[in-house]
Amino acid sequence: MKKYNKITPEGTRDLLFEECEARRTVEKTLADVFSSRGFHEVVTPGLEFYDVFDPEHSGIAQEDMYKMSDQRGRLVVMRPDATMPIARLTATRLKRQPSPVRLFYNQPVYRSNPNLMGRSDEVVQTGIELLGASGKRADLEAIAAAVESLGRCIPDFRLEIGHAGFYRAAAAQLPVSDDVREDIRRSIESKNYPALDNILDGLEKSPAVDVMRRLPRLFGGEEVFEEAAGLCLSGEAQEMLAYLRELYQSVKGLVPGDRVMIDLGLVQRNDYYTGVVFSGYVREYGDAVLYGGRYDNLLAFFDHPMPAIGFAVNVDAIAQILLEKGEVLPVRPAEVLVHAQDGFEVAALARVSRLTSVGTRCESSVFDTEDEAIAYARSKGIPRVDLVGEAVRTVAL
Amino acid sequence: MKPLRIALTKGRLEKDTVGLFERLGYDCTEVKNKGRRLILPILDADGNTAFEVVLAKAADVITYVEHGVCDLGVAGKDTIMEHGSSFYEVLDLGFGKCRFALAGPVGKDFFTGYKSRTIASKYPNVARTFFESKAMDVRVIKIEGSVELAPLLGLSDAIVDIVETGSTLRENGLEVIETICEISARMIVNTAAMKLRKAEIESLTKQIEQAKEEQP
Repeated sequence: MKKYNKITPEGTRDLLFEECEARRTVEKTLADVFSSRGFHEVVTPGLEFYDVFDPEHSGIAQEDMYKMSDQRGRLVVMRPDATMPIARLTATRLKRQPSPVRLFYNQPVYRSNPNLMGRSDEVVQTGIELLGASGKRADLEAIAAAVESLGRCIPDFRLEIGHAGFYRAAAAQLPVSDDVREDIRRSIESKNYPALDNILDGLEKSPAVDVMRRLPRLFGGEEVFEEAAGLCLSGEAQEMLAYLRELYQSVKGLVPGDRVMIDLGLVQRNDYYTGVVFSGYVREYGDAVLYGGRYDNLLAFFDHPMPAIGFAVNVDAIAQILLEKGEVLPVRPAEVLVHAQDGFEVAALARVSRLTSVGTRCESSVFDTEDEAIAYARSKGIPRVDLVGEAVRTVAL
Repeated sequence: MKPLRIALTKGRLEKDTVGLFERLGYDCTEVKNKGRRLILPILDADGNTAFEVVLAKAADVITYVEHGVCDLGVAGKDTIMEHGSSFYEVLDLGFGKCRFALAGPVGKDFFTGYKSRTIASKYPNVARTFFESKAMDVRVIKIEGSVELAPLLGLSDAIVDIVETGSTLRENGLEVIETICEISARMIVNTAAMKLRKAEIESLTKQIEQAKEEQP
């Protein structure tokens, strides 16, 4: 039988040396940002019941999850998303905590991607959730944390903000079935102007249809608000637009204006997000490296309704970028190799302890002879060998 | 700033796209005399590189755009339907027109009866999605070459394929049972590129839209 004992499954990989260093650097930088802003770390299980990620509430398709069953035959998945478990946890163990609850996490999520697309099925995400708070101050806090996070890693980023409710309010005015509405949403999501025009051409002309036609094009800088103001919007949509504009003005105080963009056509996971949505982009990566938003309906699914907002950062993508930009220190060899002459093994180990305690990176030789130890040090680029016998003799290479 | 990089589907779509860029006033000499090179410049009126063109197979155009190593791409709707997932599809370029159709032996009623059907196709995802929308459970077999052979040899009951004039079908005793959808060339854009280079991309799509209107 064919054995797969020398490779890793499609979509996974081993991380070596500087790749680990890069991931640690990003994780540490962001954990520092989060904890300095009063967020506390939680770790949720790698395995969870499928029911926690009910596709209707999580927006994650059944086929994207890695599934198995527990001893009692219940369906279990490998954590496909970090927010759902945190909502579960907040609605249960933390439900008597005073609001708001500030949590952060740093853990891998697993999604099954189509084969041979070069995507990772295992991605480390780190992020925050601010639960039990709604309103502009909470939205701003989440966005400010996102700005600080990206700013610490890749200062030249772009932040994009939108409002999930804007599309919902506008689409509610359309006299169409849910199926057609979903088709429209999907065309707007992929900025598929031809498909969108096709659907809308089949509908009776109305202001709501006009708004839909414009929606995917309503992205860019501040001028978007002017364009949107020219549209015939429902009172609800107008309120959201006004709120978004207010938020945008505040965000400009955190990030230079030319780095903040508006997209009113952000309609991703529209059953999940309820308010402001935002993402972060950088030149070196073909997709968002940070995304998040307000999800006020989610906690009700766990029988503990409360407003919430959060975001996740793709740690692997940022680590990869830092690595490519040469911003991660290369993995260095030890500074000293300590070799014991026969009978002086314990003395040599004591010397290793002494050296490492003052911060010298130090390896203990496992060779029988000095020559072998020196040859090894040469091959590894270790510049100094300490030979421990009656006295300590230092050889510089 | 680096010029926008555009992935073009080699062959007919490449020629049509080059024709389009020439109508817009760009110099595509390098692309036309490409030799064996795969990355070529398109020059503007001043002789500066306006775009960088990458020539690739249809499905690869989508892969390059999706991963963001190319900002834009020109690919047929057929390829997008079969392979596409996350990018923006911003323009119908209006050329490369044909349609996806379900076709089977002339005179045979495909939809009656309860026997489960077998479908041969170069586009298994398109075939599967089409029958899913009809709530029909079919067996799909992927065929790489002339799909028309499958029903003739008795491997399948029908095929899902691209139909232009229908003459290949007729000559092999097949006919269109149902049109699945119309196909044409599309311009696709990487998600991040759309956000980061909006002005350049929109100016290009506007030029193309204008050129389309002038020459229907």
